Formats: sequence, C-alpha cells, structure tokens
Amino acid sequence: MTPLAKIQDVRKRYGQTWALDGVSFEVPQGAVLGLIGPNGAGKTTLLKAMLGLLRFEGDIDLLGRSPRRFRHELMRSVGYISDVGILPRWMRVDQLIRYSAAVHPNFSEQVARDILSKTEVSTKSLIKALSKGMMTQVHLALVMAMDVKLLILDEPTLGLDIVYRSRFYEQILQEFLTEDRSLVISTHQVEEIESLLTHLVLIDQGKVRLCEAMDCVYERFTAVDVAASELASARSLSPVSEKNALKGATFIFDGVEETQLQALGTCRRPGVAELFVSIMGRG
Amino acid sequence: MTLTWNDKEPIYVQIHAYLAEMILAGLIAPGEALPSVRQVAVEQHVNPITVSKAMQLLVEDGVAVKRRGLGMYVADNAASILRSQMRARFLSQEWPGILHRLSLLELSLTDLMKEPS
Repeated sequence: MTPLAKIQDVRKRYGQTWALDGVSFEVPQGAVLGLIGPNGAGKTTLLKAMLGLLRFEGDIDLLGRSPRRFRHELMRSVGYISDVGILPRWMRVDQLIRYSAAVHPNFSEQVARDILSKTEVSTKSLIKALSKGMMTQVHLALVMAMDVKLLILDEPTLGLDIVYRSRFYEQILQEFLTEDRSLVISTHQVEEIESLLTHLVLIDQGKVRLCEAMDCVYERFTAVDVAASELASARSLSPVSEKNALKGATFIFDGVEETQLQALGTCRRPGVAELFVSIMGRG
Repeated sequence: MTLTWNDKEPIYVQIHAYLAEMILAGLIAPGEALPSVRQVAVEQHVNPITVSKAMQLLVEDGVAVKRRGLGMYVADNAASILRSQMRARFLSQEWPGILHRLSLLELSLTDLMKEPS
C-alpha cells in the first residue's frame, strides 16, 4: 500500500536555528501516527509544512502531490484541527454547516448534522457562545463531513477537560478511523493516545529521534526495575537510560533480549511518555 | 467500562482475555454475536487494528466464527476451548507462584477450603 504522506529530508530554518533539520518519515494508510516532542521541537512547523502553509527545503508528498503546489486540491482530502480555534466566531453552527457545504466539494451536510446530533451542541448556537470543548466537537464534525483521507491534529485537546478529551477520541474512533484513512496527531497528553497509535515519531530540536511502528517499539524497548545490588550488571548491558527509583533504578533497554534482562528484575513495556523522557536524555 | 492495561502483556492479548472472560462468564452465549471491532475500539479507546488482532486470535482458536458481512459469532464449544486453554496457562504460569507462596505461609488444603469466619 502506498503511504498517504511521505516526508523526505525536510529542513526549515528560522534565522540561525533549524526548526526542522532533515526530517524523514512516512504515514502509511490506516496509520495513527503520534508526533511527540518537547515544546519547540518543530512539531507545529512540520505539520504546517505538510499542510503547505510554509516554504521548506526537501520533499513532502501528500496523497501523491506536493502540498505547496496543490494546496487547494489537497484540502479536499486533508483535514486539520489545531488547538487554536479557527472557526468564524460570529456564525451560527447551522450557518457554518451550510457555508461549508457551499464551498467544499465533498462536504455532506447530513453527516455533519448526524454527528452533532449525538452531542449537546445546538445547531442554532453562535460559535462564540460555545465552550471550547463544543467548538472542538463542531470542528471535528465539519472535518468528518468532508470525508478526508488524512487528518492532521495539532494539540487538538489542549485546554479540554478530561470528559471532552475522552469524547473527542471516541468520536475519532467511531467516525474517522478506517483502513484507508490516516491520522497524524501531535499532543502532550501522550498517555491518552498511546493505545490508539500504530506508529510513533519522536522529534527533538528538528530531528527525528525515533520512528517506529508501535509493535516494533514494544519489541525493541524494555523497562526493568533493577534492585541496588544489580545496578552494575544492568549498566554493563548499555541501557538507553537510568533513572533513580526508591530502591535501585529503572533502566530502559533498546534491543536487548528479555531473557538477558529477567535476571535483573521485573521486565515491562515502557509507556510512550517514559520512553520519550528516556530517549530525549532528560531521565 | 474502560479496562486498565497492565504493562506486562501487549494490549491485544489483554483485549483477547477480556473477550474470553465475557464468553466464559456466559455474557455472550454460543451462537450470539461478539461486539463489533469498532464497538470494542470505542469502548476501550484502542486502535481498531489492535481489536482485530484480538478477535483474530479467537477465530484461530475456534472460539469465534467469522460470518461474511455479519461479524463474529461465538462458537458452540467456545467455553470448553477457552477453559482448557486458560487452565493450561494457569497451571504453567500462575500456579507455581501460588504454590510457592502457600508453602512459605505453611497453608494446607484444609486451611484453604475452610469457610472464612
């Protein structure tokens, strides 16, 4: 299957700093790819480059086309939601639905209304009268109604309470995810999306630090809580990171057989957040 | 209800165990439909691919039967297949640890079978 997005050696400089310094990865069909990195890692710059919103060096291929040259065509099949509300605040929800139907060739008014009927959003409300959680629901309903193939989410749940965050992802699972659509999502609330991900890209200072399918991530990395007496033997197996714990330390290993590690302590699967801290060398 | 995942086993294994327990407890009877992949995915907040993998395990073991275009159904002998699988796993993986603990605590079979007072 051809990937829905191919990012090849993408570079972007702001003044003296490289916001993106040779970023490459692919988004396969059906993937839910988590783009995880600290503040200032280049996540938003990368997503903007993918959307054709800024100039860059290197190649990006979205659904077989360049986002810079074919931005308008691509916007029919690519959706984008960011934490910055960009819906026109002065419109009513039903006006916004009718407007979208008029300007967007693939838009289905029915789908938008059906999705919103399952929420507490009234279509007669003004956008500006909605809570942030409701605005996100409206935005998601609009994107779903466009039948997009690739959905790009930049911190979509920032500022939403836990109930709305949970509903947001339920809606994505219910309405969006199919075998031929892909999702790229950048977020700080990694734990909440970990079980949704099929692929993980860790990015720091404009560089990709890890790019793997989740199955491989779990195969490669093992976390072991090691007792004080075993610290030396743990260190001899060249761990990625070592973090002091109450008794002994927690080690993360990359590509070391679990049979070799079992003597050190209990082996477990590291969470994405734990892995992130470990690889970024801040553990 | 959302499950809490343990960090020892892959999530698809844990979803498989969740579905297996529902079948063993008779919550889904033989001949009845299993919940759809999407239903489980939404309920448990996991990727549909992960749920499919768990369901595939049930099919491979003969616990569930796939009906084209209709979904998955619980096989007639599902409970007995699952029971023998889970017994084997319990005896090989969990029981040795429990046995060890029982001997440390010097608990006999009579002690264990006593009604709690």
